[in-house]
Amino acid sequence: MHISHNIIRVTLGLFVGGLISAFLGYWFAEGALREKVAETRMRQGTIRAMALADLVHAEQSRTEKDKQTPGALIQFWQQRHQDIDAVRVMRLSGARLLASSFSDDLENGTPPRRLKRSEKAIYDMGQLLRANVDTNREEGNPREPEVMGGELANGRLRVAVPWFTAKSPDKAAGFVQLEISPTIQTKDPAFQPVLVLALVPALLFFFGSLILGRVVKLEHPESVVWSSMTTAVLLLIFGLLGFGNYYLIDLGQENVRFQQELAELYTATRTSAEEGAAEFNLDYQIGFSNDWDVNEFRQPLRFISFDGELYIGVGTAQDSVANRLGMAFFACSLLAVALLVFFGLGGAARLWRTIVDYREAYVYTLPAMIGMLVLVFFPFSYGIALSFTDQTLYNTEKPLLDIWAGLSNYIEIIGDFNLIQTTEAGWSFNYENFYWTLFITVAWTVVNVTIGVSVGLVLALLLNNKNLKFKAVYRGLLILPWAVPSYVTALIWKGMFNREFGPINHTLGILGLEPIAWFDSVFTSFLTGITVNGWLSFPFMMVICLGGLQSISADMYEAARLDGANRWQQFRYITLPSLKPTLIPAIILSVVWTFNMFNVIYLVSGGQPGGSNEILITKAYKLAFQDYRYGYSAAYSTVIFMILLIYGVFQTKVSRAMESNS
Amino acid sequence: MSQKIKDESSPVLIHIVLIAFTLMTIYPLLWVFTIAFSGKQSLAISLLPEDPTTLDRVRAVLPFPETVSLKNFIDVVTEQNFLIWMGNSAIVALLTTILGVFLSCTAAYAFSRFKFPGQRAGLMSFLVSQMFPGTLMMVPLYIIVVQWLNLGNTYWGLILVYATIAIPFCVWMLKGYFDTIPIEIEESAIMDGASRTVIFFRIILPLAKPAISVTALFSFMAGWNEFIIASLLMEEEKMYTAPVGLKFFVGEHATQWGSFAAGSIIVSVPVVLLFMYTQKYLVSGLTAGSVKG
Repeated sequence: MHISHNIIRVTLGLFVGGLISAFLGYWFAEGALREKVAETRMRQGTIRAMALADLVHAEQSRTEKDKQTPGALIQFWQQRHQDIDAVRVMRLSGARLLASSFSDDLENGTPPRRLKRSEKAIYDMGQLLRANVDTNREEGNPREPEVMGGELANGRLRVAVPWFTAKSPDKAAGFVQLEISPTIQTKDPAFQPVLVLALVPALLFFFGSLILGRVVKLEHPESVVWSSMTTAVLLLIFGLLGFGNYYLIDLGQENVRFQQELAELYTATRTSAEEGAAEFNLDYQIGFSNDWDVNEFRQPLRFISFDGELYIGVGTAQDSVANRLGMAFFACSLLAVALLVFFGLGGAARLWRTIVDYREAYVYTLPAMIGMLVLVFFPFSYGIALSFTDQTLYNTEKPLLDIWAGLSNYIEIIGDFNLIQTTEAGWSFNYENFYWTLFITVAWTVVNVTIGVSVGLVLALLLNNKNLKFKAVYRGLLILPWAVPSYVTALIWKGMFNREFGPINHTLGILGLEPIAWFDSVFTSFLTGITVNGWLSFPFMMVICLGGLQSISADMYEAARLDGANRWQQFRYITLPSLKPTLIPAIILSVVWTFNMFNVIYLVSGGQPGGSNEILITKAYKLAFQDYRYGYSAAYSTVIFMILLIYGVFQTKVSRAMESNS
Repeated sequence: MSQKIKDESSPVLIHIVLIAFTLMTIYPLLWVFTIAFSGKQSLAISLLPEDPTTLDRVRAVLPFPETVSLKNFIDVVTEQNFLIWMGNSAIVALLTTILGVFLSCTAAYAFSRFKFPGQRAGLMSFLVSQMFPGTLMMVPLYIIVVQWLNLGNTYWGLILVYATIAIPFCVWMLKGYFDTIPIEIEESAIMDGASRTVIFFRIILPLAKPAISVTALFSFMAGWNEFIIASLLMEEEKMYTAPVGLKFFVGEHATQWGSFAAGSIIVSVPVVLLFMYTQKYLVSGLTAGSVKG
């Protein structure tokens, strides 16, 4: 029986597309569920901790004489809640550990007691929580966590929340920390839908086309391809819909179960808190609002009412985990369809044939290519994506799509023409402006490459003399700046330019000149950079030129001399043209390197004074690692890349044109 | 013949120019030696008196310490984690070299000897990758290496990054050199029944020794000298590489110039020795491809 290539291709496409998207989808679904569980467990710990913090608040706010340490209270709390493994209550004033059942703490002495020096971490945590509460209150916009904690390696959870006294209800008095083994559990999502999605559409299509092929005979092969593709796409979409819905419903059901468990837990906690208040004679009334089920900024999550009733509608509507999973499924579907089309229309077959035909070459390039893809090209693409967001230090957790900013970073960089600022004293350049930095960078590159090439060429010409004595010594010494690590030389030069002690100012003193504060004016600061970089970069050019010079045959000079050419003419018409094929790539490389020369500027002048000598790359670094504006810095870097790319294309065009002219 | 004589007419002048240049080149290095051997943490070779004479000033510039002492070296080696940092650097740089040379040689050989779809695009992409600004890559690199691959504070994280970053330049250089090796050698070997692997390891690699030495040198230097990525990926003090550690001495709040100078010398010696040893290959390794190709 003859099975057409077309059917095999499409079946294979269905299989591969289905399989890959199913595995990816499963991975996303599992991740979403895990995220949900982690979130719910954190809420379990938070409810327990917040309730206890309320009791501690009431207990600590009592009048002086019958005040007691909360040791008994935490014992009670731990007895009532089997999930709690250890509790710790600390007070910042006096750095006291009021009560604790952590074994580490008990080893250091029975509470209540003062914190030991070795327990500084506990005190620091209290300070941090207090600072975070203050910051959030002052800014009116919560961004620092007021509930701290996370999962430990053994699956337990630690949660710390601040507690307050009645006297100063705004200022955190200390914190309550719990270690608990969360009771909320989950199972891994079912695996069967993965196999269903991977196999069913492919099998259906395969046998369906076999049966149909016997019954119906289509005349035009073209229409066969298209009709089978359409059928396959429809089959795949049905499979994907079923698959995605299964997991989304599963996640929804788990979510509801989590909420119900939390609500029960909330009610139980409420009961025991009431009992605790009664047992310890605390002046404490549980309010008619949910105060305990809170997010990390201690803002109530309005899923549970004060008496533990569940608002399911609110819970599902706000469920960002499910939204994100849905989006991930959509991306998977696109991938699956793309794979199907790629296979079905024969692209995969052609690709496969190419790979097989040239397998030797690909095997040799594969290791390098994988490395480049993972550690160069992927970070690059990720960086470009970052440039369209406004990611900063404070929102690194968020997915990039949530902080998408479009072109606004680029507009802010390129569209800012405030190059000149006027003050009362007159006008000055705005050194923060992109175009100023660009101007400095271009000047920096042009001057440096010119110096590097001319010094390198002159030295190479001097050294390229067969009869020169001590040639190897000169070359060995002149090459030293290249060999010494550049951060070392940069820092050395920083010392050389030191105003008081640097040898350069001493030398000026010998010549009867005043010492110069090198980094205090734009021009002298620029000079230091040029000096250092010139010193660093001429050896490379010298070696390149030497290589080029050595390859020029002596016969050419001989012939030129016979024709009566003088030395300048020999240089102009023999040396320079012969050096060109070596020099041009070296110059391109050196322009790119100098343009992105980070060490010298960053370590020597640091862009002083006032950021005027910053070049683009150091500016981008400062934006990212001093201002923590990752997105903006990425846009800055992308602009740098575009400039270099345009230069590269332009330079290649020009040198090609020159070649074809000559 | 008269021209020949004219060529040698001014060797004295050439020597004067060369000596002047060489002195200017090595002066900063001599200065570092002076500070390192001075036994003090100060930047100054000698302190100027209140009203300095020209002689005092000359003394302050002459690169020779007032008192010779090994104190700075001993301090650096004993008081800090410097030896651990050196060890880290050595491991990272050596493995970077091995991995870098392997990756570059195989890729360069394919680009030089085979014709295959994607060849031009691959080479171009290597060239373009040289233009990627490092700052663009750092945040993503951190995410990939530390968060995804879980290789933060490990040698392998740094080694993989360094070896990969060095690939493009090394591949271009090696490809240029491989191109100059006549293909007839390989063809006759194939006639004799040698496989590609044998040809690659037994014939091509030995012939390309200059270029491979230079590749090794550059890979080693990439691993030995880099400090920005190292400070990004190595957060534990025990895992610092020497360059990251050295910055400690002359950071924003510390000015231990003596320790820095001594440390610099210790760090620079291996790479300078290696450089001098490889020097004879440097010229041909770097430029063979572009001259003849």
